[in-house]
Amino acid sequence: MVTLDVRPQLLDALSALRDRVAAARFPLPLAGAPRARANRDELLAQLDDYLVPRLRQPEAPLLAVVGGSTGAGKSTLVNSLVGRRVSEAGVLRPTTRTPVLVCHPEDHHWFSGMRVLPDLTRVWVPQQESDDELLLPGENPARVLRIETADTLPPGLALLDAPDIDSLVADNRVLAAELICAADIWVMVTTAARYADAVPWHLLRTAKEYRATLVTVLDRVPHQVVSEVSRQYGALLTKAGLGDVPRFTVPELPESAWGGGLLPATAVASLRTWLVQQAQDPAARQHSLARTAYGVLDSLKSRMPELAGAAAAQYAAALRLTSAVDSAYDSEYARLRGRLQAGAVLAGDALKRWRAFPLDCTASELLDALVESLGALLLCAVTAADERVDDAWRREPAADAPELSGRDPSLESAEHRIGMAVRRWRRELEEFAEEEIRDLDRSVAPDPEMIAALVATALLGGRRARPAGEGLAERIGAHGALRLRDRGGRLLADHLDRVMHTERERRLAPLDALEVHPEPQAELIAALSVLQKER
Amino acid sequence: MTAVTDQDQDHTEDTEHTDHGGRAERAGHVKGTEGVEGTEAAEGPECAEGVEGAGDSGPAPAEDVVSEAVPEAVPEVVSEAVSEEGASEGGDPWDADTDGRAAEEKPVGDTVPEEPARVEKAANGRHARVRGDSEGAWDDGLIARRVTEETAAQPVVLETRASAPQTVAPLAYDGPLRSRLDALRELVGLSRTRLDSRTLAEAGRVLDEAVARRRLSGQHTVVAIAGATGSGKSQLFNTLAGVTISETGVRRPTTAAPIVCSWSDGAATLIDRLGVPGRLRRRPVQSAQSEAQLRGLVLVDLPDHDSAAVQHREQVDRILALVDAVIWVVDPEKYADAVLHERYLRPMAGHAEIMFVVLNQIDRLPGEAAEQVLDDLRRLLDEDGIALGEYGEPGATVLALSALTGDGIGELREALGQFVAERGAPARRIAADVDAAAWRLRPVYATGRRTGLSEEARDEFAARLAEAVGATAAGEAAERAWLRNAGRACGTPWLRLWRWYEDRREPATGRVLLRTQADEEATARQRVEQAVRTLAERASTGLPAPWAQAVREAAVRGSQGLPEALDELAVRAGLPPGRPPRPGWWPVAVLAQASMTILQVVGGLWLLGQIIGFMAPNLGVPVLLMVAGIVGGPLVEWSCRIAARGPARRYGTEAERRLREAAAGCGRARVLDPVAAELLRYREVREQYGRVVGAGV
Repeated sequence: MVTLDVRPQLLDALSALRDRVAAARFPLPLAGAPRARANRDELLAQLDDYLVPRLRQPEAPLLAVVGGSTGAGKSTLVNSLVGRRVSEAGVLRPTTRTPVLVCHPEDHHWFSGMRVLPDLTRVWVPQQESDDELLLPGENPARVLRIETADTLPPGLALLDAPDIDSLVADNRVLAAELICAADIWVMVTTAARYADAVPWHLLRTAKEYRATLVTVLDRVPHQVVSEVSRQYGALLTKAGLGDVPRFTVPELPESAWGGGLLPATAVASLRTWLVQQAQDPAARQHSLARTAYGVLDSLKSRMPELAGAAAAQYAAALRLTSAVDSAYDSEYARLRGRLQAGAVLAGDALKRWRAFPLDCTASELLDALVESLGALLLCAVTAADERVDDAWRREPAADAPELSGRDPSLESAEHRIGMAVRRWRRELEEFAEEEIRDLDRSVAPDPEMIAALVATALLGGRRARPAGEGLAERIGAHGALRLRDRGGRLLADHLDRVMHTERERRLAPLDALEVHPEPQAELIAALSVLQKER
Repeated sequence: MTAVTDQDQDHTEDTEHTDHGGRAERAGHVKGTEGVEGTEAAEGPECAEGVEGAGDSGPAPAEDVVSEAVPEAVPEVVSEAVSEEGASEGGDPWDADTDGRAAEEKPVGDTVPEEPARVEKAANGRHARVRGDSEGAWDDGLIARRVTEETAAQPVVLETRASAPQTVAPLAYDGPLRSRLDALRELVGLSRTRLDSRTLAEAGRVLDEAVARRRLSGQHTVVAIAGATGSGKSQLFNTLAGVTISETGVRRPTTAAPIVCSWSDGAATLIDRLGVPGRLRRRPVQSAQSEAQLRGLVLVDLPDHDSAAVQHREQVDRILALVDAVIWVVDPEKYADAVLHERYLRPMAGHAEIMFVVLNQIDRLPGEAAEQVLDDLRRLLDEDGIALGEYGEPGATVLALSALTGDGIGELREALGQFVAERGAPARRIAADVDAAAWRLRPVYATGRRTGLSEEARDEFAARLAEAVGATAAGEAAERAWLRNAGRACGTPWLRLWRWYEDRREPATGRVLLRTQADEEATARQRVEQAVRTLAERASTGLPAPWAQAVREAAVRGSQGLPEALDELAVRAGLPPGRPPRPGWWPVAVLAQASMTILQVVGGLWLLGQIIGFMAPNLGVPVLLMVAGIVGGPLVEWSCRIAARGPARRYGTEAERRLREAAAGCGRARVLDPVAAELLRYREVREQYGRVVGAGV
């Protein structure tokens, strides 16, 4: 006999775990991500809607959620159990879109507050009125919970008529899953035509996995075949390892035909008796409460590592993306330095200017050409790096995230930023040259621009610009030339570093914005182990 | 084919349901054969009787029914009621039946009218009786009635294997479809090198199926009955066939393997294609009326698609891809199931024309509810994107019926008969398949954006290459050099003397040394790289990913060796060969400058002569000469410089143009042309795709 004794430490551990689960994000579109997201939502719903409130207040009424396929007769069943029409039944599928909770008037306060199902807005509607009229504009019709009271239900038991689990309306399916997670007792309704459907069986297997208190109702069975269908259904259940689940059969009666009305009390008497007994017999009640609650607690043992695994996979994918960017930029940076050394800047326009210098070309023209050529080299390196990144990311499924795959429109601005950086370098180089000349004690001071052009050529031109260095030494002396070249070289390295770094950051920014960190994995596991210790 | 005339009789239907479908199927009998084998045919019924007797329960012959049913009975309808068990125990029906077939096409009319009467007698009236019972006992509108069917005996007719070679007319596609298929085949061929085989698999499958289907009978239409478990597929199948062929029951899922029933001969190869084994092939009950109406129909009863048995779903998916048309059976309980709509109906929305959607079990719905549910079903189908065949428009046929009570069956039969008689379904199915395949391939062929390389992009590429070789700078340098030389040539000798002295005093910074050295890597590699990249980017915008990749690769391949080629070219085309051209006035200018110098010299000498008294003192003329020379020299030089500007610019522009054009030509040959070829290939494929889609896209 399991009992439900709860220590405050356990509750603390549980809410800590809940927060961890709520904080877990799976933004990268990996293969397992949608599943992990669904699992997270389901787990969160189960913690919020069921486990935490149940452990806090074990005395709250039992909540039995009636779930099943569309057209299985859930609403008719609930109506029949209550004894009056509380939930709309009809022939159009899916009928029930707004979940209806029925409880004894004394229990009303348990459900009117946000103790369970805090996501759903409560409405109290006289049943004649349509729900839609009372909805505030913009409120999702699926996100409300209608609360009804009925004296015919015993205190301590509440019934919830959930939407279907398999109709076309996706909202219904999500909501139904959430509601079923909130149940102390899962009442699964199926029919003679449906009992082999795949979707409800999936739900049954889930119930088994969570060891929830489960009861199945085989509805709409033509009375000629009651025994046969019921036997076959029983066999299927046994095969699935659910042989010990209480099984009730409700025959198909003219009254049940498509929203006709209520089934006679005799048809649902056994189910009703069972439910009432669960609610009122303390031992049975305790048993079913504890079974479901511990079932969920136990299921955490396998579900949390699964979430943690998904979080780890996310981080690993993010790491792969980051390292692809890093390696692309690193290798391009290396190539850039190599080409600078080789004097790739002094080519094309700049080279022609240099050849014409100083006869047919002014110093400022030479400087312009050099600076422009340097900018082109940098831009080339950056775009090549981006291209490598694109190539590498194309092979990564995680890079399909909409935040990442959007072609960044910032390449023009990259050109702009690089242009700014090289022009700034030029200005600073000219300042250095002026400083150098000011210290010079010569009768005829050389033109500072000419000196700057020569330094730039010497720095960027590699081997073929050796004459520039010689010319420089000739004009401002060997020492001055050396000093100027050193300072200019350091400045150039600084600027290159900064440019490449900025561009790499720009490339990584959307990835960083997704905030995929290694912590969630550890935190999830840690929260689980704390919880295990407290049990 | 003779029709049973007494259709107004309720029971006529029932007799048709009786199991005497044994027009021996093995003889894939062709039109036009007269029923000359009447005597042999007579053996058929005897055998059938025997078998029937050997069968489980004694059949109560419904004589009244029979007598009504066969006033103009069809002699060739030789029935052979063989229950499945009977087939094994009751003698050897096949032997007896070898010739138990007759001409089926031509109404042989009155030749042997008695034989069929016996046949009908032999027919198991049990079915009729059961039905009658059920109608009496379970008239409460519940599904309960359905289950009684199961207790009924299930005599079925096995289709005999076809022995004779089929000489059926193969299917013929109409012109547009044929050209679309050809276009698709060509498209797949053209794309093989660009797209991976997985992308093309679907199109390839469609092509294969189209070919396979075309080889087979065009007289037949294969229609599958699909639906959820418990919706009454088998019930409907049986009702249409008029005989309990497919097992119905309460055990879910009931049908595990597809069963085929064909209304006329010659469909064996078609059924082979479905992979349905011989033991699951049946014939419908023999009745001239249904025969006439549904001639050419091959009906397939599928397993469910939604039960926990996964292999059922696989069977359904496999066969749905092969049939010509589908009847979707839904019931009031399940018509809004997600699995039906999301997994099947939505993806098959393009196949609306070969789709029937049948709301079964309306007998379970009270009064107006049936109409409501039907409307709701129509709404859902509309949301799925399925065109509904209302008001004569092409689209899916939506019907409400009850396979159990027979409500609406007539309508379905009629619609189906018309549909089959048109014989258009296979072609329409293939057309819809082509549509679907084309739609799925759309992302790799069309983006809806403008593609191609604009003139602007080409110009920009050329400009970038020119920049890489330094055309502008080279042009400017050439212009200035020319101008400088012109100035020097036309300058006053004194200025030239001073310049020469300057040069001597301060040697130029390495300029002389460098002139001799050939530049290696004169082309800016990074600019070439960037130019190619930008061009590839421009050319591939608006292209679907695989083609964009191909364009990029073509550009990159072309750009290999491009910088080296440009290097070489810069050396060759750098400056016009030989001495720079000189304008015609140049000698005149030089002469003028020389004469100015001479004037100066002459004036100076004259003055000198006067000073030393060698000549008569006359200051005026020599001073004038000298001043004219001194003023005129710079004047000539200045005007020469002004005049030289034009030719200098022309010279510079010429130098720039040569370099620019050479670079552009090199770029065009190596990069632009391959890229353009790749674009052209894409455009070709794109047009082909447009042909596949069937409209100018």
